[in-house]
Amino acid sequence: MKFETMEYKKYNETIYKYEHSSGLKCIVVPKKGYYKKHATFSTQYGSVDNEFIIPGEKTKTIVPDGIAHFLEHKLFEQKDGSVMDKFAALGSRPNAFTSFNQTVYLFSCTDLFRENFDLLLNFVQNPYITEESVEREKGIIGQEINMYRDDPGWRVTFNLLDAFYEKHPVKFDIAGSIESISKITKDTLYKCYETFYHPSNMVVTVVGDVDHIQVFEQIEKNIKSTPKTSEIERIFPTESDSINKKYVEQNMPVSTPLFYTGFKDNNFVLEGLEILKYELAVKLLMSMIIGKSSELYTKLYDKGLINSTFETDFSIEKSYAYSMLGGESVNPEAVKDSITKEIRKLRDNGLDPQIFDRLLKASKGRFLRQMNSVESISRTFINLYFKGVTMFDYLGVYDTISFDYITDVFEKHFDLERMALSVVKESK
Amino acid sequence: MTDSNVLEEKLNKITEINGIRVYNIKSNRFKTNTINVFFQDNLNTDSVALNALFPSVLRRGCKGLPTIKDINLYLEELYGAVFDCGIVKKGEKQIIHFYFEYISDKYTSDGDRNFEKALNFLLNIIYKPALQDGSFNELYVEQEKTNLKMLIESRTNDKVQYALDRCYELMCQDEPFGLYEYGTAKQIENITSNELYKHYKEKIGTLPLDIFITGELYDSDIEILKKSLNNIERSTPKSLISSIVKKCVDKVSYFEDVMEVNQAKLSLGFRTNITSKEDDYYALLVYNGILGGGMHSKLFQNVREKAGLAYYVFAGLEKFKGLMIIGSGIDIKEKDHAKELILEQLDEIQKGNITDYEFESTIKSIETGVQSLKDSQLQVVDFYLSQLISDTHDTLESLLDKIKRVTKKDVIDIAKKIQLDTMYFLTSKN
Repeated sequence: MKFETMEYKKYNETIYKYEHSSGLKCIVVPKKGYYKKHATFSTQYGSVDNEFIIPGEKTKTIVPDGIAHFLEHKLFEQKDGSVMDKFAALGSRPNAFTSFNQTVYLFSCTDLFRENFDLLLNFVQNPYITEESVEREKGIIGQEINMYRDDPGWRVTFNLLDAFYEKHPVKFDIAGSIESISKITKDTLYKCYETFYHPSNMVVTVVGDVDHIQVFEQIEKNIKSTPKTSEIERIFPTESDSINKKYVEQNMPVSTPLFYTGFKDNNFVLEGLEILKYELAVKLLMSMIIGKSSELYTKLYDKGLINSTFETDFSIEKSYAYSMLGGESVNPEAVKDSITKEIRKLRDNGLDPQIFDRLLKASKGRFLRQMNSVESISRTFINLYFKGVTMFDYLGVYDTISFDYITDVFEKHFDLERMALSVVKESK
Repeated sequence: MTDSNVLEEKLNKITEINGIRVYNIKSNRFKTNTINVFFQDNLNTDSVALNALFPSVLRRGCKGLPTIKDINLYLEELYGAVFDCGIVKKGEKQIIHFYFEYISDKYTSDGDRNFEKALNFLLNIIYKPALQDGSFNELYVEQEKTNLKMLIESRTNDKVQYALDRCYELMCQDEPFGLYEYGTAKQIENITSNELYKHYKEKIGTLPLDIFITGELYDSDIEILKKSLNNIERSTPKSLISSIVKKCVDKVSYFEDVMEVNQAKLSLGFRTNITSKEDDYYALLVYNGILGGGMHSKLFQNVREKAGLAYYVFAGLEKFKGLMIIGSGIDIKEKDHAKELILEQLDEIQKGNITDYEFESTIKSIETGVQSLKDSQLQVVDFYLSQLISDTHDTLESLLDKIKRVTKKDVIDIAKKIQLDTMYFLTSKN
């Protein structure tokens, strides 16, 4: 059996990589002494993939919003009943989630890994969808959509995306809407399944105290041997460079307004390590501008304009990128104005290389901390896998990122013309 | 791999100085070490808000690091160490937690030894706050009062959690457990800086104090620790009251809140009348698992999967106070129907209708849960802290042994003790 071994001696970590003849990839990260064994089976297929050309076809297919998530729900039903029951009998905890770009099936166990892993590999490969069960699921997912509609944190996030994007499907709720899911049928679900659940569009990760050879042998035994197919062509609407709206407000019962501000970033056409480097740079810059050790954070905190709920994040994917900064505030507009002023000031006076060095050291330490948890390792690996890099590639990026590069990214990302604000507050 | 020998991870009491108990859970699997300092107090209406507020003020600055900015500069220099504090409620005790996580010496670039810095930082935060004219900085106090009031008022944002907390609070409104661990906005409003400082001084000198350290410690680290703790001024620790568990229910109470929601929440609060010191406690864990502890459970299978009545439904225990809660998210119109079907599941257990699948999956699932705890430094610490609080002496292994010995008959016997006390419904106007 052929596989690749990558050792990171300094950090006491190793990765094993293997590719099945169908094109399915598998990554094992051994964690000696850990009790939990965490395995995932993921497809590069999320809520944004609603328009695409099926390999071999000429015309494009358009499917309803929320279908990737709907399919995730449906896969748990098998011909001989719910697969949940089988996992439960093994004492493990299966789960699944759909994000903008991926659908991930997973379990965590402390015993009977081999049985659990066989189960995971098999149920994801064997959909059993009936018309009747599709109709029933619409009720269950409808409840889920309602639950998210009541969640102000969720709303304020999607409203910011709506402010950034006029058409890009990243702005729509991952579960879709009651209206969009009403159009989902058994046939469209199967069509999406056949297209996106081809092994060459998928990856398996296993993190924990396991024998990697055994894992690869199980893959060999359980994965159907199908020829690799060509890439699925994913189509995204042409989105203008500028933002859709400067400001979005929604009224909901919240005691303190919630807000997110951030920047729409059009520099998302990057490959491999460049993606990691860019992401790290934007995150460091956000710390330099408004991290807990910055002048601005202290000023806003002292004025009572932000509190410990304040957080920042940056996402970069194949067809979009954006940053988010927010939390609770009695006056979101004032926070946004202060950030704007700070960015102008830094643009005039230049960034401080000493602050950059210190934050880089801190960021690397916090990155190592993520390697304590099998779930967090696995989450990071899946996310990066589809970008063609691994979690440990960050370590190299930490050692090579330069102050000049940061300065360049500062100009690119923090474009005040592409800054928007989303607020959720009580109606007056 | 350079470190192929995995250490046996056990709780070791290192020392007891000045009434401060110090424990170490040795391990070399993690990239970081942690120091956890816990103060315990009785939940009490006069002190709950004061206890919740003073840690937030301490977090603002200490000797040598008088501002948030200084603190964070320090943490960043220490390879991005993490510091936080929090308040939790365990039964009728209020726990004040100070937490520090720092990178293990193996991964520092220049072989820096960080234990001493980490310990000194935490002790300075707790014992040497930034002062102004011999009391807390008034500006800090006012700002943290505002922040804490905001936190209290934002509770309703998370409807799932709120519907559980609110049910318990209404159910125990005449008992200390009915207090919210952060107090009320009104209590916070009335606190003055001087009053808070006086309160803080008294509490840090008298509340029971335990320290848990995870990771590898050198002998020299332990010497440093002993020296530092000897310098702390402490009087005899206050003895705390045990949570009252046994209570007979005369009549089921019903409460309702109206908010703008699309999905309603139904919570049912129960008295188990079982303390964690009794042997019955292990059977109760299994009972709760069969009823609502996962996908194999009666509630999940029958209320969610078969009847499609709930998006989520589960049962959970509060072991210190002997309570059980069932939480669910349902369609507004389905209240009665859902309640009926939920209660039917309890009846089924009482009648002895437990399948082998339900029973065995529950045991297996609890086993997975307990074993999984070991992969989180914080959860292991929390487990042992809970043992101290309830004055029980289980290890993760002994807990598992006792659970495996539970029989179906034990579970059926438990069912008879459990009494519905309160129903809570969070619904919309229409």
